[in-house]
Amino acid sequence: MNTSYLPSDYLPVLIQLLLALGFIVTTMIVTHSVGPKRKSQKKDDPFECGIPVQGDARTPISIKYFLIAILFVLFDVEVIFLYPWAVNFKGLGLTGFIEMILFMGLLLAGFYYVIRKGVLKWE
Amino acid sequence: MFPIVLLSVFGILLLFLGFLKSRAILLPAALLFLLVSLAVNFIDWNKTYLYFNGMLLSDNLSMVFTAIVLGSAFMVVALSGSFMEDESAQPAEYYGILLFSLVGALMMIGFENLIMLFVGVEILSVAMYVLTGSDKRNLRSNEAALKYFLMGAFTTGIMLFGMALLYGATGSFTLGGIRAYAVNPQVGLSLLFYVGLLMLLIGLLFKVSAAPFHFWTPDVYDGAPTLFTAFMSTVVKTAGFAALFRLLSISFSGVYTFWWTILAIITTLTLVAGNITAVYQNSFKRMMAYSSISHAGYLLIGLAALGQQTKQAIVFYSLAYSVATIAAFGVLLLVARQRNAETITSGGSSSESFDAFNGLARQNPLLGFAMAVSMLSLAGIPLTAGFWGKFYMFSTAVERGQIWLLVVAVLMSAVGIYYYFRVIIAMYFREGATAPIRVAPFYRYVLVVATLLTIGLGIAPGLLEGLF
Amino acid sequence: MQPTQNVLIPEVIQQIPLTYYIIISTALFVIGIIGVLTRRNAIIIFMSIELMLNAVNLLLIAFSSYRSDSSGQVFVFFIMAVAAAEVSVGLAIIVMIYRNTRSIDVGLLNKLKW
Repeated sequence: MNTSYLPSDYLPVLIQLLLALGFIVTTMIVTHSVGPKRKSQKKDDPFECGIPVQGDARTPISIKYFLIAILFVLFDVEVIFLYPWAVNFKGLGLTGFIEMILFMGLLLAGFYYVIRKGVLKWE
Repeated sequence: MFPIVLLSVFGILLLFLGFLKSRAILLPAALLFLLVSLAVNFIDWNKTYLYFNGMLLSDNLSMVFTAIVLGSAFMVVALSGSFMEDESAQPAEYYGILLFSLVGALMMIGFENLIMLFVGVEILSVAMYVLTGSDKRNLRSNEAALKYFLMGAFTTGIMLFGMALLYGATGSFTLGGIRAYAVNPQVGLSLLFYVGLLMLLIGLLFKVSAAPFHFWTPDVYDGAPTLFTAFMSTVVKTAGFAALFRLLSISFSGVYTFWWTILAIITTLTLVAGNITAVYQNSFKRMMAYSSISHAGYLLIGLAALGQQTKQAIVFYSLAYSVATIAAFGVLLLVARQRNAETITSGGSSSESFDAFNGLARQNPLLGFAMAVSMLSLAGIPLTAGFWGKFYMFSTAVERGQIWLLVVAVLMSAVGIYYYFRVIIAMYFREGATAPIRVAPFYRYVLVVATLLTIGLGIAPGLLEGLF
Repeated sequence: MQPTQNVLIPEVIQQIPLTYYIIISTALFVIGIIGVLTRRNAIIIFMSIELMLNAVNLLLIAFSSYRSDSSGQVFVFFIMAVAAAEVSVGLAIIVMIYRNTRSIDVGLLNKLKW
């Protein structure tokens, strides 16, 4: 295989880049200049189905959302250990299966702890 | 290996015990679990095994370090009785996290593969972040936790990059593989290797709070609840030095000429920064934080002068240091609580300043004596364990002929005597209005055992010889 | 730095020299470090730390595929799992501070001074 490239070989890449950039810039300019402009207080408000806006967006959010998000991150990432195990399932045999059951058992223990602590209760 | 498995299971058990109505069972359960782990630790005594596909080594040295770590943890947990009476405390979680963090410490002690080292360091550190911030309503505790977390995660990144570079250079994560590359390079050691070694060292030196990576230590030790400060300054430090010793003595002994100068400079910086700054502190807790930095410096001497005696010196020093530190923090816990109860009405000085100890020895001879012995041991006065710890450390430097390191260390321990004696003078020669403090029986046993151990090892340092 | 066992490495991988990977992951890592050192918002510092970890992951995978050795990729799995644990603890600490101070500017944290 050809391993040494001349600078001219990268020309298609450059053209593609310019085209992509050019398209974005052109559409932004064109829509900005062609479209009608009407400004009013109502128009600049955030859209809220006709209901008047209340407060700003940075209101405190219930800690429950946060807890569930964190738990999702924790339990979600552990799945990455399942992939190599699944690929080598036959090779690892019974020992691998038992080890994975142990691993899942530990995760389930954590899950049971979460439930008992009442984190998932949504009242 | 057995303590690691058992501690993981026990930690989960403790979490579930927390669902019971009664909290009274938690402390005895935690102590029992630690004792069982300590006992099973010695099953493999005098045998050397590799566990988990060569991931973890179990030999006499690692078992001795494990015993020191578990023993310190046992003493810290034993001191926790009154601390957990607080309504907002969550003892089940605290004990569970403590046990989990010990798993990390044991992995750092016996690692045979850099993956194991990384996972161990992280288990220990993440647990410590949580415990540092466990006083949720206290802004100082919050701030300490955030600082510790951000800096700890940052250095973890640096340490990982070092590991990755080492892997790139040597093609292996195992200690043996790296050693084979360092001892017998085919085309000379690559630049990746040196940079990787330095970054890995920076990561570990941060964890043991060596200068110039020590800036987090005073803030974190000061802000964390005192009990967990005692845990951090003993268990984390011992585990960190065990890991550093394994890494340097096994993998990198072939390139000793490259790293010893760097380590010697860091040692000097640590000794000077720790001891000199400690002199200017008014808070006892902060003084102990700087003192722990200076003790990291003494322990580093043994590594900078890596030789035959290093192993014994590090074991002895970390044991002497852990025992004395736990006794000191134990007394501080009682005194600070007494002071807090008083100052709520009168609004006096901070409960953790040196003044809090004024006249302590007159009304509470036991507390005064325990504190005095631990201060003497930390200062390295003869007839205490600390003296022999320093003696062994200094003799490693003599063995390697690093006289200037020795001179710095001796000068700095002279500085150290000044601030340790401030406490003793406050306790015995100052007038103070300290009322007698009620000491729970179990608490008293811990203090007595720690004091006896310090004096016993000071009189007969040979007790530990020949153990490993 | 040339890999020693050329036979095992697919040609597709070889087309880009290993040095390029080292440079790009070092660059990412340095961007992360600069972010940590210059930003004052705890969340952004935290994001920079994650960037550093991902630079390490990239480097490990590059080394791993050039050496046809899987242990580097195993390490990446561990880094990802541990990083997730760190994220949850870190975010919890940040939320705890936000609840007490209504801010996550690290400059406001100055209760502890020597």
